[in-house]
Amino acid sequence: MTSATSTAVLPGSKMRRSGMRFDDRRKLFLLALALPAVVYIAVIALWPLAQGIAYSFFEYNLLRRGGSKTFVGLQNYVDLLTDKTGQRALINTFVFTIGAVVFQFVLGLGLALLLWRDSRFNRICLAFLLIPVTITPLVVGLIFRALLAVDYGYFGYYLAEWGITSPRGLLAGTTTALPTLIFVDIWEWTPLVALILLAGLKALPSDILEAAAADGATAWQRFRLVILPLLLPTVFLALVLRMMDAFRVFDSIFVTTGGGPADATNSLMVYGVKQGLQFFNIGYASAIANVSILCIALMAAGFTLLIRRADVKANEQ
Amino acid sequence: MIKTSALRFGVAALALASAVATAGAADKPLAGTTLTIASQNDQFAAVIAKLAPQFEEKTGATVKVDILDYGSLLTKTQADFVGHTKSYDLITMDIVWAGQYAENGYTVDLTELMKRDAAELQLDDIYPATIQYIGQYNGKQVAFPFAGYAAVMAYRKDLLDAAGIKVPETAEDFVDAAIKLTDPSKKIYGFVANGQKGAAVAQDWLQYNAQLGGSVLDANGKPALNSDANVASLKIYKELFDKAAPPGAVDYDWGGREESFRQGLVALMETWSVGAPGYYDPAMSKIVDSVGITYTPVGKGLPLKYGLGGWGMAINADLDKEKQEAAWSFIKWLVSPEVQKEMNMNGAGSYIRKSTLADPELNAKYPFLPVIAKSFENADGDYRPRIPQYPEIQDLLGTAVNAVLVGNTDPKAALDEAQAQAEKLF
Repeated sequence: MTSATSTAVLPGSKMRRSGMRFDDRRKLFLLALALPAVVYIAVIALWPLAQGIAYSFFEYNLLRRGGSKTFVGLQNYVDLLTDKTGQRALINTFVFTIGAVVFQFVLGLGLALLLWRDSRFNRICLAFLLIPVTITPLVVGLIFRALLAVDYGYFGYYLAEWGITSPRGLLAGTTTALPTLIFVDIWEWTPLVALILLAGLKALPSDILEAAAADGATAWQRFRLVILPLLLPTVFLALVLRMMDAFRVFDSIFVTTGGGPADATNSLMVYGVKQGLQFFNIGYASAIANVSILCIALMAAGFTLLIRRADVKANEQ
Repeated sequence: MIKTSALRFGVAALALASAVATAGAADKPLAGTTLTIASQNDQFAAVIAKLAPQFEEKTGATVKVDILDYGSLLTKTQADFVGHTKSYDLITMDIVWAGQYAENGYTVDLTELMKRDAAELQLDDIYPATIQYIGQYNGKQVAFPFAGYAAVMAYRKDLLDAAGIKVPETAEDFVDAAIKLTDPSKKIYGFVANGQKGAAVAQDWLQYNAQLGGSVLDANGKPALNSDANVASLKIYKELFDKAAPPGAVDYDWGGREESFRQGLVALMETWSVGAPGYYDPAMSKIVDSVGITYTPVGKGLPLKYGLGGWGMAINADLDKEKQEAAWSFIKWLVSPEVQKEMNMNGAGSYIRKSTLADPELNAKYPFLPVIAKSFENADGDYRPRIPQYPEIQDLLGTAVNAVLVGNTDPKAALDEAQAQAEKLF
């Protein structure tokens, strides 16, 4: 019995001694090929992420007590969720993201449908539509700040003069500032959503659409029952891209209102940058960053799941 | 033969060259040294950059002036201190950073050097308040003042005359006059101040708050943001914005505020003395002939104290001793009476010396210098508390005051909220 086992084991160990099997060697070779990428991601993404998570459990301010660290557990997260500025920043970020993305989707889909038919006019329109996308968000913020200024802005001056807005202007009102910034985001990014959806529309199989038309489906029925289900993967792609971007909005707010008036437009990123780079309150800033990463990751995961389901469904049809 | 003589000639030339070099070094003790300054983008920055070659001529040290806006200056220098990267040798320090610098030992304590070179510095000629407030904290001198600013009130003689109103001498008169002078239909406003969220509104409100008897800290140095005096002064500040300021003022920072005054929209404005030369400059100002500068009005019955601000020059503590000495030489040069005068002849608007403020040539050019001199003699540099927690306190106030100005937030509630958060910092 014992001898049998030992003889059974021996050949195997002999083989291992003589070298790895081809499959193992191949695996090792492929791993080695991937190694630079793995190291890169570890250094550039994973290590800072891990550090950021670690810092968030400390009271760690570079300007206090010579930058010493004190472990405080989840206190930074509790602070963020209980203090009014933090709550406001979270709410503002969600309102901004949902408001901006919903409008961008509805308007973008409308534009995409209008531009669907391939004609010279539509192609020219599309080229012009993309101009806002090519401007840096920071510059867009500066442009709108200038346009809406009540003292000298092209729009702001007349809007206030004619009594359409309050004399202090849109960006200085606690109830109007956030909607104005959402509008700016919509202005800038709707064309991108339209472009993505248009690409999806152009890739739709024409035979199915023709069949639906031949069967006597109305335009609305074709849109709701044929086009939209087939377009879903693209829709989710556009939504997830915009949502991730909108959630970490910083530049346009930073240069227009700086999070004000009061805390009306304070977003998580604006708050985090202030804590981290102005007060060097690294622990708290890390907590803010982690919360926003978590939110973005959850939303992205949800949408990825939806994309996969929609894909499967679209292929079944 | 030829070879040898060429060699001999070469050796001789080399010896000569090195002899010349040594002579030069004795003449210019700092030859080969480069001093890099991180400078706030105030009026003095361009002037220092312009005059720096004179220092080079005298000592041999090259001076590089890196001119930065307030936010970048703060971020870059803090990163330099925390990371010990020695990017900057000299740093312009805002008066309110003294606490933070002292607590963390970022810069060289100049106390001993000042004692050693007291005669050369002519310390008697420098206003004690500038030395005390711009750089002195807990017994350390973390920076040496080179640009003192006084809070002053700028007013429009023509508008006051037309309305038959005297130049306000008390805070109460100021409020009355500001409201009376306002006539939106003619686009004339009685008052302007910073309303923009953040440092802008916080600093301006703190100025008015001090004049109305308010204070950020209590007698024990603990935060008292929601004291009765502060709430009362915030109510007045809001009243001024509602009744007397241009509508856009709630979003003004220093630039917008100054511009509205120079463009002739505004009758009364409290400001830093450093901006005053601009009102007399026809290239940028529409009010050259009608502007007056006087003391900031203080509340009735309160001690006459005038806000002091400004910048000190600090030496990075990470430098070795030799470099520290070189940097100190630069500071001594910068604050010398001659250079101070030349700086101000070039429009720096930065004063620390009695002799500079009394200089006839400068007084002929800038008629408001006696106002600065008297303000410096009764200066209060602590109305913006120079404690390590100041940046956070300023930010809390910057949000709270702005919330009161733009919305319906009750002043007491806003300051209560700020106080609750400020207490966490102590």
